[in-house]
Amino acid sequence: MGEFFAEIWTARAQLAEGLLATIEISAVAIFTGSALGLFTGIGLVYGWRPLRWLLRFYVDVVRGTPVLVLILATFYILAVFGVQFTAVGSGMFALSLFCGGHLGEIVRGALQTIPATQIDAGKSVGLRMPQILLLVLLPQALRQILPVWINTAVEIVKASTLLSIIGVGELLLKTQEIIGRNFLTLEFYTFAGLLYFLVNFSIERFGRIVERRLALA
Amino acid sequence: MNKHTKTFILCVGSLILGSGAVQADKLADVLARGKLIVGTGSTNPPWHFRDEAGNLAGFDVDVAKIVAKGLFDDAEKVEFVIQASDARIPNVVTDKVDITCQFMTVTAARAQQVAFTLPYYREGVGFLLTKDAKHKTYDELKAAGAAVTVSVLQNVYAEEMVHQALPEAKVDQYESVDLMYQALNSGRADAAATDMSSLKWFMKQNPDKYLDAGYGWNPQTYSCAIKKGDADWLNFVNIALREALSGVEFATYSASFEKWFGEAPPAPKIGFPAELR
Repeated sequence: MGEFFAEIWTARAQLAEGLLATIEISAVAIFTGSALGLFTGIGLVYGWRPLRWLLRFYVDVVRGTPVLVLILATFYILAVFGVQFTAVGSGMFALSLFCGGHLGEIVRGALQTIPATQIDAGKSVGLRMPQILLLVLLPQALRQILPVWINTAVEIVKASTLLSIIGVGELLLKTQEIIGRNFLTLEFYTFAGLLYFLVNFSIERFGRIVERRLALA
Repeated sequence: MNKHTKTFILCVGSLILGSGAVQADKLADVLARGKLIVGTGSTNPPWHFRDEAGNLAGFDVDVAKIVAKGLFDDAEKVEFVIQASDARIPNVVTDKVDITCQFMTVTAARAQQVAFTLPYYREGVGFLLTKDAKHKTYDELKAAGAAVTVSVLQNVYAEEMVHQALPEAKVDQYESVDLMYQALNSGRADAAATDMSSLKWFMKQNPDKYLDAGYGWNPQTYSCAIKKGDADWLNFVNIALREALSGVEFATYSASFEKWFGEAPPAPKIGFPAELR
C-alpha cells in the first residue's frame, strides 16, 4: 500500500492534469451542448417546418449513434475533407453534439407537456411569442428538464473517457500512462474510478440544491 | 461565356477534380512548418511512455527525434500526437501525422495501406529468469521438459507461442504484466515469456535480480510508417534512419538503444558498407 501512495505522489501532476482536462472538456461540452439543446428543443416544437426537419434529422442521428462512433467520425471524416481538428477540439465538438441532441429531445418533451392554452393566455395579455417562450413556457419547462439535464451532464463526464481513444490526455489516458510505467493496474483504475465518482457526485449534489430552490413551495 | 468566366470555371473544376491527385510534397511541407508531427503512444515502456516528470520518452520517441534532427538539425522540433495502437494507420492515411513511430510490426497486409520505412528494431520473445533460478539457460529449460512452468501474458496464441520454444513446458497465462512477473518472483513459474524489449527494460530497471535465458524467437520487424505515394518523403526518412543505424547518427541511436535495452547494438564495421554486400 505504501508503494501505491508513493506512486500517487510521484504521479500527482499527471493525475491533476488529467482530472482538469476531464473537467474542462466536460464543462465545455455541457455548456455548448445545453445551448444547442435548448435551441434544438424550441426549434423542434415551434420552428419553421424545414428547420424542424433538419433538427429532427440531427437529433435522430445523434441519438441513434454510439458516442464513440461520433467521436471517431468528427476526428477522421472532417480530416478527409481537409479540415484538421485537434484531438481535443474534435472531442469537445463530438460531446457537444451528443449533449445537444439528447437535451434537444428532452426540451421538446418538456415544452409539449405545457398546455397550448397557456400560449393563448399569453397572447391575450399582449405578450409576443418570444416573450411567451421566455416568461411563460421555459420557466415551467426548466423545472421538468433539470433532473434529466443533471443526468445528461453526468453521462457527458463518463463519455469523456472515450476521448482517450483519439489520444486526448484526460483522466483515463493519464491513468493508463501511469499504469504503463508502474504496473499498479488495479490500484490506479480504482483511484481513477473514485475521482470520476467524486466529480459526478458533486454534479448531482449541485443539481439537488438547484432543484430544491426551484421547487414549488 | 467570356474568357474570364471560362478560366474561372476551369480553375475551380481542376481544383475539385484534382484535389485528390495533387502531388504530395511532405518533405517541403514539414520543412516549411518547422516541426515534425509524429504519431506515437504513451502507455508502453520502453517504447513510448510518460516518465515520472510526465514527459514522453522511449525508443520510438528517440527514433522520431533522430528524424527531426535530420530535418531541422534540432531533435526537439517534434510535436507528438498521442494515438492508440489501432489509430496508427488511420492517422497516417488522413494526414493527422507526418509519420508514425509506434512499435509497428511490418506485415505485407499493412504495407498495402501505408509505406513502411527501414526497420529500426527486431522484436522477438525471450525468457526472463530470476538470478537464482534452477534452470539458468534455454538449453537447461528445454532439457527439463514438462517440469518447467512458464508464465505468460494472456493471449489466444500464448500457449502455442511458448510451445514453439519449449514444446513440453506447462504454460500459465496471466491477465496482466505485473501478475506475470509476480508468478516468476514467487517461484510459481520457472520463467516468464515476454517481448524481448520488455524483458531487457525490466532487467535494466531491476539490476542484478534477473537473467535472460539467451534465446529469442517469434521475430517481428518494427518500422515507422508514412502515407503512401510520396517517394521523396519516404526516401528522406529512410536516409535519416539508415544513417542512424550505420552512419553519422550511430552514436545517437546507440546511446538510445543502450538506454532502453541495457546493451549497445553492434557497431557498423568501418570500410566497405556492409548493407550493400
